[in-house]
Amino acid sequence: MTDEQLIADVRAWIAANPAPAAADAGHSDFLRSPPDIIDWREKVHAAGYAVPSWPVRFGGLGLTPRQSLLVEQEFKKAGLPGSGVDRTSIPANILMQFGTDEARAKLLDRFVTGASSFCLLYSEPGAGSDLASVRTRADRDGDHYVVNGQKVWTSSAMDAEYGLLLCRTDWDVPKHAGLSFLLCPMKQEGIEIRPIHQITGERHFNEVFIDDAKVPAENLLAQEGAGWKVMQAALGYERLIMGEGATDRHDGGDAGLALIALAKANGKIDDPVIRRDIAQLIAWRRLNDLNAARAKTAGDGQGAALMSLGKLAMSRVLHGDARVRRDILGARSLLDGPAFPDARELNYHALFSYINSIGGGTDQIQRNIIGERILGLPREVETDRAIPFRQSMAVAGSAG
Amino acid sequence: MPVIDSEQREAMRESFERLLAHRCDEAELRRIIAMQDGHDAALWRDMARIGLLTALVPEEHGGIGGGAQEIEILMEEAGKVLLPGPFLSSAVLATVALTESGDAAAKARLLPALADGSLIGTVAIAGEQGLWDGHDGDVAAAGGGENATLSGVAGYVSDGAVAGLLLVVAGRGADRRLFEVTDRAGLTVTPLEGFDITQRLTRIAFADVKAREIAGGDAAAIDRMIDIARIALAGRQAGAARRNFDITVDYLRTRIQFGRPIGGFQAIKHMAADLLIERESAISGARAAAEAHAGGKGNAAEIVAMASFAVGEAQVKIAFDALQMHGGIGFTWEHPCHLYLRRAWHDSKFLGSHDLARDHFLSILEKQA
Repeated sequence: MTDEQLIADVRAWIAANPAPAAADAGHSDFLRSPPDIIDWREKVHAAGYAVPSWPVRFGGLGLTPRQSLLVEQEFKKAGLPGSGVDRTSIPANILMQFGTDEARAKLLDRFVTGASSFCLLYSEPGAGSDLASVRTRADRDGDHYVVNGQKVWTSSAMDAEYGLLLCRTDWDVPKHAGLSFLLCPMKQEGIEIRPIHQITGERHFNEVFIDDAKVPAENLLAQEGAGWKVMQAALGYERLIMGEGATDRHDGGDAGLALIALAKANGKIDDPVIRRDIAQLIAWRRLNDLNAARAKTAGDGQGAALMSLGKLAMSRVLHGDARVRRDILGARSLLDGPAFPDARELNYHALFSYINSIGGGTDQIQRNIIGERILGLPREVETDRAIPFRQSMAVAGSAG
Repeated sequence: MPVIDSEQREAMRESFERLLAHRCDEAELRRIIAMQDGHDAALWRDMARIGLLTALVPEEHGGIGGGAQEIEILMEEAGKVLLPGPFLSSAVLATVALTESGDAAAKARLLPALADGSLIGTVAIAGEQGLWDGHDGDVAAAGGGENATLSGVAGYVSDGAVAGLLLVVAGRGADRRLFEVTDRAGLTVTPLEGFDITQRLTRIAFADVKAREIAGGDAAAIDRMIDIARIALAGRQAGAARRNFDITVDYLRTRIQFGRPIGGFQAIKHMAADLLIERESAISGARAAAEAHAGGKGNAAEIVAMASFAVGEAQVKIAFDALQMHGGIGFTWEHPCHLYLRRAWHDSKFLGSHDLARDHFLSILEKQA
């Protein structure tokens, strides 16, 4: 099909189908979509436009990724949700790619349309930066797995119908080789969720305690021992979503202008040091937007590379922004609470900025990734990479 | 107005890259900069022959009628190899000084010669304080039209010693006007020893020097010239930053200490990751400024102001850290690290300092806040 024909078809379909009334939270959001949005997304999916690059047997149109993007752009131009799921949904894509026929039949459409919600069960108290050292265990028992362990930093755990679970099924092989990836039903006896009290005072993330939880064997993605491969694919989609979030926000200017307004309101706009800092921060924000925009159009394989820089670049912007705000407010930054809203906002953002520099891989891990995967520098030395996990646990135990 | 598509632009960039690969590799660069005037006439002729000097010259005067995007991408190539000589002075400053004026006769007489390389031009803009925005001009013009005379001193004139065409900004602020020196009597061009040994700066004294006024060469036209020159400079900075970074990462992959490449040590690896942000930002900033200018976008002034400090900041950071990461070899004259550092510092002050650009950028934004 030619591009022109495809675009004409999509436009005709959009014109023929009345748009949903409610606004959508976005298909990349973990939350379940509202009912009439789900109805709409089911229609989009039935037409093949939710996942155009997927094979026909999974509800796609078998288009190239490039043509699929054309479809998505038409929906975006019309302000309509439901397309582009083949690029940005973590559960739909890894289930399509790695799932069993039974799990696909049961869940794939629900993930594509947002009828099912999910959360990410990756990090553990003992496996943060070193994610491959997870100790949550899954033991096969007939037609299901029995899971025990503890996960942490889980957003939307309360709402989720399924958890994308990284766990260990083999303890006698090196750590990356003993991992498996399961779709774990969250609404069951063996799952206990406790909110984490964060430094900002909020309780957005959760701890998830898993005690003899049951997962149908058909919910295994790929094979036992192939969990790290699935994990990498899932992280790839997550980075894409985060990267696009950074590009689509286009808030660089506005956030920068807010600093100018704050400096004006506090009589600091003529302070040469403050001026210098604000100008630099606004430039960093805008350059980051420009880098992300270039990443989208780079056809030479540099795109993904540029994308992964964005999160690291935002860290210096956000922490720098907080520092300048503190300099502008001066002594009033000593205060907090509803009686001092500008101080409260500053203090909140100063603390919240650590979400960017720690969450989703710390800046330090990010620098390793950039250095190794983009620049081709040698990998970090990992003393536990080649030995059975049980053995490295014993070493860690004696050291501790 | 003719439109150059991205394919033609890419073809031009490629031919420049190919030429420079053998005519301005490191050995050639060192040969050229060891010469008194730091200018390779044969390379200049070859650049002219493949049309590189015509980028900003309108078609009716023998050029290709390009704009900011064409010159930016060529300047990236020039920056990569630290091209010495009067490319920026002649093909950008002098050329744009004329194209932005309203002087049809001067354009018809001078632009074809600038485009074919037979004439090298430069523009004296700053005074001895080194301000390019019209605040320190020490050259005063008496009279006007065909019979003007110039007196005073211009500072930091690039390539003044090799330029056959000397254009001069006289006056200050809104009263600035552009002149062409018509008789060298009373003119003293003093070469200055420069920190960036790939560039040649001069101080030029004028004692009742005969000059012709360029019609329509007013303050607004002069500011438009400086804008395009700053975009070109940003391109040159981005190109140098990019190559300097790439050379450094190659070194990190191959230099062995403690039994492994030094790029494997986090102290170094993490510096390199941070510098990649600078490399990409330099390229994005320079290209965005060129694109905004070429597209006549409303925010072009703001983006050009941003590029005028942010691209250079990125380049300086890369140059500074690159030398550190090279360790002892970087401290040697024979290694190119110091050449990139010298260029970075040069470009960060030439055509105006980062501090002034930052302040200008913020002043534009203040009107929106």
